[in-house]
Amino acid sequence: MSKPLHKPVSAFRLAVVGGVVLLAGAVLVWRAVDLHVFNRDFLKNQGDARTLRVVPVAAHRGMITDRNGEPLAISTPVDSVWVQPKVFATAHDRWPELARLLKLDPERLQRLVLARQDREFVYLKRHLSPQLAERVMALGLPGVNLQREYRRYYPAGEVTAHVVGFTDIDDRGQEGLELAYDEWLRGTPGSKRVLRDRLGRVVRNVEQIRKPEPGRNLALSLDRRIQYLAYRELKRAVFRHRARSGSLVILDVHSGEVLAMVNQPAFNPNDRGQFRPAQTRNRAVTDVFEPGSTIKPFTIAAALLSGRYRPDSRIDTSPGHYRLGRAVIRDSRDYGRITLTTVIQKSSNVGASKIALSLPDALLYRVHTRFGFGADTGSGFPGEVGGLLNDAGHWRRIEKATLAYGYGMSVTALQLARAYAALADDGRLHPVRFLRVEKPETARQVVPVRIARQIRRMLEAVVAEGGTGTRARIAGYRVAGKTGTVKKAAAGGYSEDRYIAVFAGFAPASRPRLAMVVTVNEPRDGVYYGGQVAAPVFSRVMAGALRLLGVAPDAAPAHPVRLAALGRPDTEATP
Amino acid sequence: MNAQAVPAAVSRSRRKSATERRPAAGPDRPLLLAVLTLVGLGLVMVASASSAIAERQSGDPFFYLWRQLAFAGFGALLAVGVWHLPLRFWQQAGPWLMPLGVFLLLLVFVPGLGREVNGSQRWVHLGPVNLQVSEFVKLFVILYLAGYLVRHQAVVRTSLGGFLRPLALLLIFAMLLLLQPDYGAAAVMLMTAMGMMWLGGARLFQFLLLLAGLAGSLALLAWISPYRMERLTAFLNPWADPFDSGFQLTQALIAFGRGEWFGVGLGASVQKLFYLPEAHTDFLFAVLAEELGLVAVLAVIGLFGFIVLRAMAIGRRAEERDLPFQAFVAYGIGIWIGLQAFINLGVNMGVLPTKGLTLPLMSYGGSSLVVMGIAVALLLRVDRETRQAGQGARPW
Repeated sequence: MSKPLHKPVSAFRLAVVGGVVLLAGAVLVWRAVDLHVFNRDFLKNQGDARTLRVVPVAAHRGMITDRNGEPLAISTPVDSVWVQPKVFATAHDRWPELARLLKLDPERLQRLVLARQDREFVYLKRHLSPQLAERVMALGLPGVNLQREYRRYYPAGEVTAHVVGFTDIDDRGQEGLELAYDEWLRGTPGSKRVLRDRLGRVVRNVEQIRKPEPGRNLALSLDRRIQYLAYRELKRAVFRHRARSGSLVILDVHSGEVLAMVNQPAFNPNDRGQFRPAQTRNRAVTDVFEPGSTIKPFTIAAALLSGRYRPDSRIDTSPGHYRLGRAVIRDSRDYGRITLTTVIQKSSNVGASKIALSLPDALLYRVHTRFGFGADTGSGFPGEVGGLLNDAGHWRRIEKATLAYGYGMSVTALQLARAYAALADDGRLHPVRFLRVEKPETARQVVPVRIARQIRRMLEAVVAEGGTGTRARIAGYRVAGKTGTVKKAAAGGYSEDRYIAVFAGFAPASRPRLAMVVTVNEPRDGVYYGGQVAAPVFSRVMAGALRLLGVAPDAAPAHPVRLAALGRPDTEATP
Repeated sequence: MNAQAVPAAVSRSRRKSATERRPAAGPDRPLLLAVLTLVGLGLVMVASASSAIAERQSGDPFFYLWRQLAFAGFGALLAVGVWHLPLRFWQQAGPWLMPLGVFLLLLVFVPGLGREVNGSQRWVHLGPVNLQVSEFVKLFVILYLAGYLVRHQAVVRTSLGGFLRPLALLLIFAMLLLLQPDYGAAAVMLMTAMGMMWLGGARLFQFLLLLAGLAGSLALLAWISPYRMERLTAFLNPWADPFDSGFQLTQALIAFGRGEWFGVGLGASVQKLFYLPEAHTDFLFAVLAEELGLVAVLAVIGLFGFIVLRAMAIGRRAEERDLPFQAFVAYGIGIWIGLQAFINLGVNMGVLPTKGLTLPLMSYGGSSLVVMGIAVALLLRVDRETRQAGQGARPW
C-alpha cells in the first residue's frame, strides 16, 4: 500500500498551545488567590453590606393587673406584614391572592405599593394572628415579610377601658394609665443583626446586638370584681333613665386607692374603630359639674369649725325661701326652725346659705380647699382637671350663698369622692392612688376628728327615714351620704329641665371603709332627683362591694333603718 | 487516504484485545477519573446552588438536581455508545454535520419550536426538555474541521485559500449564533477552530493577520459606539456600578471573598440566595468558591488543566501513530473544553467580560452535559484507537 503518511505538526506548535494552557491556568490561579486571600476583607465587607441588616426586636410591654393580680391589659405576640415594594412588584400577578387573604381592596393595595416604590419598607397590614401570618408566608410571594410585634389585649374590655386606657398600634400609651405609666410599662426594644436573602427574608440570626428589655408590670388599685359590679349597675341606671352619661367612683377611705371607676358611655378598647373622644374620655376625672347639695356637708363643716354652731344649733328657714338681691333662694317646702342635722337631712338650701352667709369668707374657702376642691387630686391621671373654686375676697353675697349649696363652683366625681372619703376617715384627706398601695401614705388632717364624726352622723340621717337618700340604704350596713340634684347651667342661667343626679356617701357608717360618688347626667325619663336616680345605684354597688371585701355588717339586720335614724351620740360611734 | 489505515488497525487490535490485551481496550483511567470527579463535584454544587431557587420555583429543592442526574445518565449512555463507535464513522459523517448544524441553528428561529430565555433565542423546544443547539454545533464544527484538515492538509499549510475556506463556513455559523444572540458560543467556536488550524499547520502570518484584524475591529467598535465598548469593559471595574451593570459580577466576587481558604461549608452559601443570578448555571463556580473555598477552586482549575493537557497528549500520540483525524478531534475537544472552562472561570472571577457560558461538565444544563459526555467519549475513543494502533506493526 502506497499512501503518504500524515506529517505531524511541529512540536513547537503544540508547545505553544501547552504554554497558553499553562498561562491561562496561571492567570486563573493568581486571580483566585487574589480574590480569596488578598481581597477577602473588602469583598466580605461588601457582601455584609448587602446581606446583613440590623432589625429591631420588639420588647414586651408590661402587664397591667388589678389589685389582686387579675389581668387588665396584656400583650400578645402578633405579626405585621410588610413588603419591599420593588421586590414585591415582581410578583404583580399574584397580588390579588394576597389582597384576598389580608382582606384588602386590591386597588388600594396597588396604590399603596406603587406610590411607595422608592421605599424599602411598607406595612401592608398590622397585627395579624400568627395563624393568618403563616398562611400569608405560605403564598411565597417575593418581598413579603413579617415583623413580630405585640398587640395589647384588654380582657375586661369596656369595664376598665377608661381607667386602663389604651395604646396605639405602635404599642405606645395613648390614654389613661397606659399613657400615664407608659415609661414604666414600655420596655426597651432590642436589636439584632440578621442575614437576609435578596428577597428580604431573614435567613439567619447572626447576633443579638441589644437584648430587648421587657416592660414592667403594673398593679392597679382597682378591684376587678367591684369594677364589674359598678359598671353593670351604672350602665343599667344610665340606660333606664335614658341619661346622657354617668360616672361612678369608689375609693378606699383609708388609703385613697381607687377601687372602681366607671363611666358611661364606654368603649371597647380592643376595637380601635370605636375610639371617639365622647366615649374614651374618663369623665370621672376629666368632666366637671356643679356639685349642688352634695357640697352642703362641707359648708356645715365650716360652720362647726367656726365654733358658732353645733349639730343641734337651729336655723330658721321659714318661709322656705328668701330674697337676696334679685335672686330668690328656695327650699322645696317650708321646714321651719331646723337643726344643722335637719338642714343636711332635708337638704335645705335656705338653711345652708344662711349659715354660709354668717361665716367669714376665708373660713369657707379654706374648708373647701382643704377638702381638695379647686385643685386636682394629684393622681397623675392624664387629662385630670381640678374644677373651679373662686378665691375668697371676690365673692358677692349671692355667690357665697349659692356656694353653700354647690353652685358657682365645679368638681370632678373623683374630687367629690375624695372629699367624702376624708369625712369618712375622720377628717384625713388622702392622696388619690390608681396603683395598689402597700403602705398608706400619711394623710392630711383637714378637719378635727370630732367634726368629721359629727358630719358623719348627719349624713346618716340623710339615709334615714325622712331623709332625701333613703334609697341608698343597704341591708345590714349603716350608710352615710348626701343626695344632689343639680340644675345644669344653660345659656343665661340654669336649665329647668336638665339635671345631674348625684349621690355621694360612704359605708359602713360606724367604721367607714368605702366612699362612693355616683353621677347620672341628664336623666330623661321624668325622674331626676339624686335620691331617686343615683342613690339606688349607690345602694346596690356599695352592698356588693362591701360583701366582696368581706366587711362586717354594722347594723342589726332587722332594724337597719331605725338604728341609723336614732342619730346616736358621737361617743358611741368610735371607729 | 489516511482513513484506509484505520480499519486495518482497528481490525487488527480487535482480534488481539479479544484474546489477551484487554487493558489496552479500556479507557484512559486518569482522564476518566478527572472527568468523573468534575461531574460529581458539579452535581453536588448544582444541588447546593439551585436548592433555594428550585424550591422557590417548583417547591422541590432538588428539582434541578433530579433533572441534572437524568441528563448525566443520558449523557453516560450516549458516551458508552460513542465509545464503541469507530471514529471513522464521524470522519465520514463530517461533511453532513455542517448542513445539520445550520438546520438546527435555523430551527431556533421557528416560532413554536424556538424558545426565548432571558432575551436570547437559544433553545429548541423538545417535549419536556429544551435543546441548546449551540452546544451540538460546537461539536459538529470540531468533527467537520478535523476531517477538513486531514483532507486538505497540504493546502492549509501552504495557501491562504485553504485557511479562509473553512473560515468562511464557520462565519455562517457564527452569524447564526450572533443572531440568537450567543456571543460566548460564537467566540468559543471560532477560537477552537483557530486553535485546530494552528495545530493543523496553517501559517503563522495568517494568524497574525487575523489578530490584527480583531484588534482593528475592536478599535473601530470603541470609536463608533463607545457605549458598547464600555459595556464590554465594564467587567474591569464592576464596583463602579455595583447595582446595575456590575451587579452579577460583584455578587460573584463577593462569593470568592467569603470563601476564604476552605469555604463557608457546603450548602451555606449566602450568595446563592437570589443575590447571584444564574447561581446553578453560569455562576456555579462562584458558589463553589464560596462554599468550598480556595482549595476547591484550585482543584477545579487543576483538573481542567489536566484534562486539556491530557487531550493534547492523546492527540499528539494519535498523530505520531498516523491517525490525523483522531488527533485533530482530540486537539479540538481539548481546546474546546479548556477554552470554555477558561472563559467561564474568567467570567466568574472578573478577568473576562460577562458572557453567558456554562462551565463544561459541571454547570446545570442538559445539552451541555450530554454533549460533553459525547466529547469525552470521543477523546477516550481516540486514545483507545491510538493504543490499539500502537500495538500494530507501526514503523515509528
